[in-house]
Amino acid sequence: MKVRLVFGCVLVLMLLLAHSAGYAQTQNKFKLKPDAGGKGCLNCHDNFKDVLKRQFVHTPVKTGQCTGCHDPHTSSHGKLLEDDPSKICLKCHGAVIPEKARSVHKVVLEGNCVKCHDPHGAANKSNLLKAGNALCFDCHKEMGAKLDKVKFKHNPVERGCVTCHDPHASVKSDHLLRSDTTALCLGCHKASNPIFAKQHMGYPVATARCTQCHDPHGSNRGGILFDNVHSPVEKKMCTQCHEAPTSATPFKTKKTGFELCRGCHSKMMGETFNKRYVHWALLDKRGCLNCHQAHASANKFLLNGDSKTICGKCHGDTVAVQQKLAERERQEDAAMKGQGQPIKGALTHKPVQEGTCEACHSPHASDSTLLLKQPSVVDLCGTCHDWLKHSSHPMGEKTLDPRNKNLTVDCLSCHRSHGTGYRHLIPFPTETNLCTQCHTQFRR
Amino acid sequence: MAVFFSIALLVITLFSLPAAALSTEVAHLRPSLSIYLDNKGVGLRHPEGVACSGSTLVVGDTENGRLVRYTIEGKSVKGGTEIKIPQLGSPTRVQIDSKGDIFALDGKERRIVHLGPDGAFKGYVAAEGAPSQSSLVPRSFKIGPDDALYILDVFSGRVLVVGADGKYQRQIDFPADYGFFSDVAVDAKGTVIVVDSIRATVWAAVGKATTFSPLGRPVKEYMTFPASLAADRRGIIYITDEYGGDVGILARDGSFLGKQLGMGWNEGLLSFPTQICVDDQEEVFIADRGNSRVQVFTLAK
Repeated sequence: MKVRLVFGCVLVLMLLLAHSAGYAQTQNKFKLKPDAGGKGCLNCHDNFKDVLKRQFVHTPVKTGQCTGCHDPHTSSHGKLLEDDPSKICLKCHGAVIPEKARSVHKVVLEGNCVKCHDPHGAANKSNLLKAGNALCFDCHKEMGAKLDKVKFKHNPVERGCVTCHDPHASVKSDHLLRSDTTALCLGCHKASNPIFAKQHMGYPVATARCTQCHDPHGSNRGGILFDNVHSPVEKKMCTQCHEAPTSATPFKTKKTGFELCRGCHSKMMGETFNKRYVHWALLDKRGCLNCHQAHASANKFLLNGDSKTICGKCHGDTVAVQQKLAERERQEDAAMKGQGQPIKGALTHKPVQEGTCEACHSPHASDSTLLLKQPSVVDLCGTCHDWLKHSSHPMGEKTLDPRNKNLTVDCLSCHRSHGTGYRHLIPFPTETNLCTQCHTQFRR
Repeated sequence: MAVFFSIALLVITLFSLPAAALSTEVAHLRPSLSIYLDNKGVGLRHPEGVACSGSTLVVGDTENGRLVRYTIEGKSVKGGTEIKIPQLGSPTRVQIDSKGDIFALDGKERRIVHLGPDGAFKGYVAAEGAPSQSSLVPRSFKIGPDDALYILDVFSGRVLVVGADGKYQRQIDFPADYGFFSDVAVDAKGTVIVVDSIRATVWAAVGKATTFSPLGRPVKEYMTFPASLAADRRGIIYITDEYGGDVGILARDGSFLGKQLGMGWNEGLLSFPTQICVDDQEEVFIADRGNSRVQVFTLAK
């Protein structure tokens, strides 16, 4: 019995040894050298020894696993990468984009990780190319320039953008914020503090949105209020528009829409409502707030943004068409320039492209159709295109349009100011097509 | 055998067609005539309103600050009598009720003016008994089959239904999330339809519904700024695209059937079209604002 047991054990042991020997043989069937996974690469890529000396080295590099990212033989991607450069990092770091992210950093979404990280090693933590905010300001230049100049800086910004923003993605808020704006602010600014309550006139602002008044990045006004503050806010006269702080609905405004603003801006409102055409946006539930901020803004006239942003919110098609035309214009011009034949005429109209809609339209009201600033289209266009007043096709009230007895000839008889897809903003592919609309005797 | 399979295939094909497609014959807008002048030879100037009912056509000649009444006789339009009253300086939307009374929205004063068939001033529409009456800002309005007024109140975010007697009947609230509603229409079955210009979406309130539900998918890919709409007697919806200069056609269920016409100066083309009206004779009238005329189209199947 004992002999049988010993024999059995020996047999099992032999089988195990045989299996492991075979396994080992299969694993190295290509007879790879022990350092083939990466350390051997340094035999040729000598300069990498310096990378390994950096303070922070990417783990696969540190452990000599170059093949974690690179194919030692061939690849369809640059630098012999195993996969598309925009996807390769996500193979290990997929968690940087959470499944239910509310906002994702564009570079992360594009898989452009190398914009911020050195994939091999760096002098900064997380293999970042630069330390602190300097890295962010490489792209967010305007923000960097602004923060250099502002009089009142916000301490968390000084400490680093990542204090409030997650550089990869956020599941909790827009703008990559680590949590909802107000919750983020209340993390440091305790609403229960009596000074805080006094500063906010006793209103329960802990339930409001701080960025309606404060610029979280810093500003030139005390309390980092936005640079342009609505007069009642500046004077702490909240009750001019809102119910009392002790009310059950303290933030409720005393009136809605334009009716609330009319209390102070009666002159402007009077002028507006005296015009034949009023911008309908002014008359809906939100009224003035469709374009203006009620409390404070970084923009003049408390505007919600630049004209392109504000007008584009409702008239997005005009903005989108102009962007498409601008791109086409750029491509066509570049192609023709290469052939030494510059194309005459533009596909785009500068004010539309730049978003200075107010160059031609009155944002509140006008006596002219389409809220044009002047009753005469010729005069309006002439404010920029001065030459047309003295040398152009006959135009004006005395020149009737032969196509329609109710129309007179003006700039819009031949051009469409928002672009058409044809050069010189004409609505036909060629000038001949255009001219023969009226000069029918020359039609072929 | 082959015949059997052919018939079977035909039957399957017919049954697989959407019900809406079978019930909807896509009509084409064929230019019929254009109206430029009144009976004294005065030209229209940026007209925004047009109303058609029976043999009457009324144009809201906006920049001339007047209404012009025409008579439809078969395929021609006659007359062109000017109606100019001090209470109506900027008519932007026009309607005619079953008695021939004219209602016009003064876009500048933002109130609806009531006139008799002869053009005499009868008063303003007051929406008596309506909640938040002081905050009424009508962007547009329509007269339903029962002569009730359906007023698109953009300030209070609702469609107010006011009876022929001028008394408030009910209101239909705008949905919670929308861009800007530019026009309202009522079809023969009493369904109230509104168009959101910014999101290019049509919404409907069927029966006594107190709020709107989306009718079909947004038509943003086809239309840029749908501004006015009208329904024909079959419930087909016609929408003018102010920026696109064309007319989109939707089935009763909101499915997009196509768009017609285009931007231009020649007759049959439009420039910044505004109000649209479809009469019982299936003629379509469009205030061709940019071209300072009214164009008439026949629905050709």
